[in-house]
Amino acid sequence: MPKIELQQDELFRYSGREFSAEELEEALTMAKAEIDDPVDANGLIKIELNDTNRPDLWSTAGLGRALRLYHGSSAAGTKVGVSASSPDIAGRYEFFSRPDLPKAVGERRIVVDSELAERRPYIAAFAVSGPPIADVLLNDLIQTQEKLCWNYGRKRKAIAMGVYRENRIQYPVRYSAADPDSTTFVPLGLDAELSLRQIIEQHPKGREFGGIVAALDKFPFLTDNTGAVLSFPPVINSADVGAVQAGDTNLFIEMTGTDLKPLLLACAIVACDLADAGYTVHPVEVEYPYDTPFGRSVVTPLYFQKPVTFELGDAERLLGAELHEDEAVQKLSKMGVRAETVSGRITAYPPVYRNDFLHPVDVVEDLMIGYGMDAFPSEPPQDFTVGRLTGSEIFSREVKTLLVGMGYQEMIFNYLGSQRDFIDNMYPDDQRAVATGDCVRIANPMSENFEFVRPSIIPQLLGAESVSAHAVYPHYIFEVGKVAVRDTTNNYGSRTVTALGAVVADAEAGFNLVSSQAAALFFYLGLEYEPSVVDDPRFLAGRVAALLVKGQRVGVLGEIHPQVLENWGVTVPCAVIELDLDLLRTAGDLD
Amino acid sequence: MRTDDDIKSLHPLEVTVLRRYGVGDVLTAAVLQADLGLNVGQSNQALSWLAARDSLQEHNRRVLTRYEITELGRDYAEHGTPEERVQATAREHGPLPLPRIAELTGLPNKDVGSAFGKLSKLGILGMDGEKQVSYAAPPGPSAAQADIDMVRALLRRAVSAPQGLLEENELAEDERRLIGEISKKRGSAGAAFRVVESEIVEYKLTENGMSLRAAVEAAGLSGEEVGTLTPAMLREGSWKEKSFRSYSIQVPPSRILIGRRNPYCSYLDQVKDKLVSLGFEEFDGPLVETEFWNSDALFMPQFHSARDIHDVYYVADPTHAQEIQEPFLSHVAATHEDGWDTGSSGWDYGFDRDFTRRLILRSQGTVMSAKTLHEAKVPGKYFGILRCFRYDQVDATHLSDFYQTEGIVLGEDVNLRTLMGMLEMFAVELAGATDVKCVPGYFPFTEPSVEIHIKHPELGWFELGGAGIFRPEVTEPMGVSVPVLAWGLGIDRMALMHLGLNDLRELFSPNIENVRLRTGKQAG
Repeated sequence: MPKIELQQDELFRYSGREFSAEELEEALTMAKAEIDDPVDANGLIKIELNDTNRPDLWSTAGLGRALRLYHGSSAAGTKVGVSASSPDIAGRYEFFSRPDLPKAVGERRIVVDSELAERRPYIAAFAVSGPPIADVLLNDLIQTQEKLCWNYGRKRKAIAMGVYRENRIQYPVRYSAADPDSTTFVPLGLDAELSLRQIIEQHPKGREFGGIVAALDKFPFLTDNTGAVLSFPPVINSADVGAVQAGDTNLFIEMTGTDLKPLLLACAIVACDLADAGYTVHPVEVEYPYDTPFGRSVVTPLYFQKPVTFELGDAERLLGAELHEDEAVQKLSKMGVRAETVSGRITAYPPVYRNDFLHPVDVVEDLMIGYGMDAFPSEPPQDFTVGRLTGSEIFSREVKTLLVGMGYQEMIFNYLGSQRDFIDNMYPDDQRAVATGDCVRIANPMSENFEFVRPSIIPQLLGAESVSAHAVYPHYIFEVGKVAVRDTTNNYGSRTVTALGAVVADAEAGFNLVSSQAAALFFYLGLEYEPSVVDDPRFLAGRVAALLVKGQRVGVLGEIHPQVLENWGVTVPCAVIELDLDLLRTAGDLD
Repeated sequence: MRTDDDIKSLHPLEVTVLRRYGVGDVLTAAVLQADLGLNVGQSNQALSWLAARDSLQEHNRRVLTRYEITELGRDYAEHGTPEERVQATAREHGPLPLPRIAELTGLPNKDVGSAFGKLSKLGILGMDGEKQVSYAAPPGPSAAQADIDMVRALLRRAVSAPQGLLEENELAEDERRLIGEISKKRGSAGAAFRVVESEIVEYKLTENGMSLRAAVEAAGLSGEEVGTLTPAMLREGSWKEKSFRSYSIQVPPSRILIGRRNPYCSYLDQVKDKLVSLGFEEFDGPLVETEFWNSDALFMPQFHSARDIHDVYYVADPTHAQEIQEPFLSHVAATHEDGWDTGSSGWDYGFDRDFTRRLILRSQGTVMSAKTLHEAKVPGKYFGILRCFRYDQVDATHLSDFYQTEGIVLGEDVNLRTLMGMLEMFAVELAGATDVKCVPGYFPFTEPSVEIHIKHPELGWFELGGAGIFRPEVTEPMGVSVPVLAWGLGIDRMALMHLGLNDLRELFSPNIENVRLRTGKQAG
């Protein structure tokens, strides 16, 4: 979830009003936002945005816009549908085209090369002009770019954004596929020409984002009509046209990516933010040599979102309250959503900077927020249902009660561990490969300490012993918990088992003791078992028994091999019991 | 004031001592040993116990100096001191050279030399030009000769004294001077005596002691009371003649190790029991899951940022499940692509049917809510406390595996208001909340979504959990057409408070002593 840092004054300017700290915290709930760090001496405040489908809120202008619409002085009386032709509720963003209604672009065109179709096919752009850009706005623009491209654009894979000095550009801009080795330019941050391949190998941004294009035979490349380089998307701008500074008055902004709709939305968000900042937005036409969902000529920023229509009654059922048409429309307007009603049916138009209405329920949530939580007093659930624990849980509790009765302290361990814990400490060299094969291993462990799901509770019981030599002996400890074992017959290739593991660590601990305890346990569980000879290198030979119920192996008990104890650094004899409680529980039904 | 408890708590040794002594008597360990036949340990115990009760007061503390005869001293006592032996040999066999005297006496040369030096000064021995030593009759009784005789006498007395010890204050003044000269400090060899110093503490009865003594007499305690009731006494009936000593009940009892539940597990059980009491049925499932159930079935698009390689643990082998159950796979795939029959526009991308089989470690408990949907009853309530795995650096607030508490409620008439009613019920029943507030929330699989913030009597305001109404894109592919409330509670913070801990790692501590000593607050 993105966190943004912004000037509180700027936020209040966009909001059209000021808030005290408490008021702001309360006010931000409508945007599912929280104050992460309160305002500091420099007037900076850090805010966390929880809704990953609302990238329009990840900037000062965007968040301020939401607060203005909801909490601003005009919020209560916002006029609806000022401009029937405009998708925007306040008619602020007249520069948007619609698929069937493109705005005039003048000379501002981008020509796309057919070779991009299979590489990074889409581009959206616009230009702005206005007052000399201030540092605070420039910083905000850079932050917006980072958040949009990182969180919403999946680390530039889906969306990368570039900002340029428009007065250095000769239209049309050309979006082409370039040879990585013979194409060179001076990237931002350096003063020497590098080839595109050198950039992804040497430039810091190249090393960070080069992976997105590294496998391609030709790399995306953006130049103007004279061949002046704008950038190497999605990696780096040029040091010339691509070096925007405070004081610039005319900017060209483009975004490239793999999916057109998210790209169009990101483009819309940045355009609206700059419009709110007082800039005039100039649309750009993109000419594709291949088909896109919106044709071969797409003028951006583009309002492509579709309205959602539903019965008001559906919203009433979900919210549990009666809603009135006019009031519902007015509450949606507080959320920036223009809506119309026709005989109980409501049609909601997503704001130009939002594309999160996948289903009517998404509009229902905007209704909920628009009305405010207080409009929906809580009501106790009415339906009668029977509660119950799982059979496994009930059986586990019975087993735990018996273990506690035998003097055991219950433990609870983490389920992830290392090769050393689960394999190397437990098995001799020549058996480790097989033992590893029986474990569920993580392909992308964060650390070798957490690389395996435990196949047994015994290693962790011995791990507890290895750190507890200071605790008064004898130690009787156990855990009932999950283990995972490989099972080729299972759809998932493994099985999760509820297991009991118990260890006695004491000078007197031995086979006979745990054998007697197992006998007591089985007696009180109403089960008969037979011990059977087994070869298991974790135990002293001849002092280990597999336990069979109706011929099926349900567990093992015995004296831990001194070599295993030495591996763990344990200097007190240990005897253990381990049982598969899932098998035990169902063993009564076996024949 | 004397109480019965004081009397009853007296040990028989204390009773015996109190009964034997009165005002003005000086009590030491040695006195008790001599008078009462106690051993050293019993004497010292009785004195320190009574002193601790203010019944005895330290009256004097002195250093007792004693002289213990050494092996050498015993040899001198039997065969004579070097002076005596050199003198006698010279007298009988002289004149002789010194080495010859050493031979005859069997004494080392240096002892013979120093004895000759002393005796020649006294005029008892003389040496001629030929270095021959000869005996000269003493000019008469001298102090020096008396010393030699006195040493001899001390040696003889020491040999017959108990443990070969002579007490300094029982010696005459001359004897003290002499014995001091011929003794060496503890541990050195080559002397006839060694000095032994010890501290003697003398006690006298206090007023308190006198009144305790009177109370003991009044109570008829003899010090013969019995400690343990034995099976033999019961068999033989001899207990009838015995009187049983009262025990000192204030003495801290010794520690025993008991069998015991883990308090964190007990806490989880309490939560489970509470949810069962609210009509919820428990669900459970495997630790290894598929991308399908972990995320796809929850309508999280396959390109969602939370589904990155750095957010989920992938299983190394096998990498993919053999199959995903139909018709759920087809329904979910279509829902992602174009919304299927759910009324949604879907995510508008090509659903990857290979990726969806990818095996991972369950990263959210909501997996089991999704898996339960197709077989759930209506109305129905379900929950699970499920171990989940996260790709997180382990620290005080993050674990790589931990429990999530999740559940669902299905019903024809459930809605936002009943959702909040249920959350308030959780807040009061599970957390003892004194105030509850719901605010809009965001979860990929619910719409609308809320967060519940509660005011806890000890922790203050915090976020107890999140909830919402499952999106139709989640429920309809599973064949569920009624609204489904989905909720998740963060109970670890309350668990830490319950256990008096502040580090999540401590919940899973392998340290046996820590776990033994850990207690949760009492339920109720």
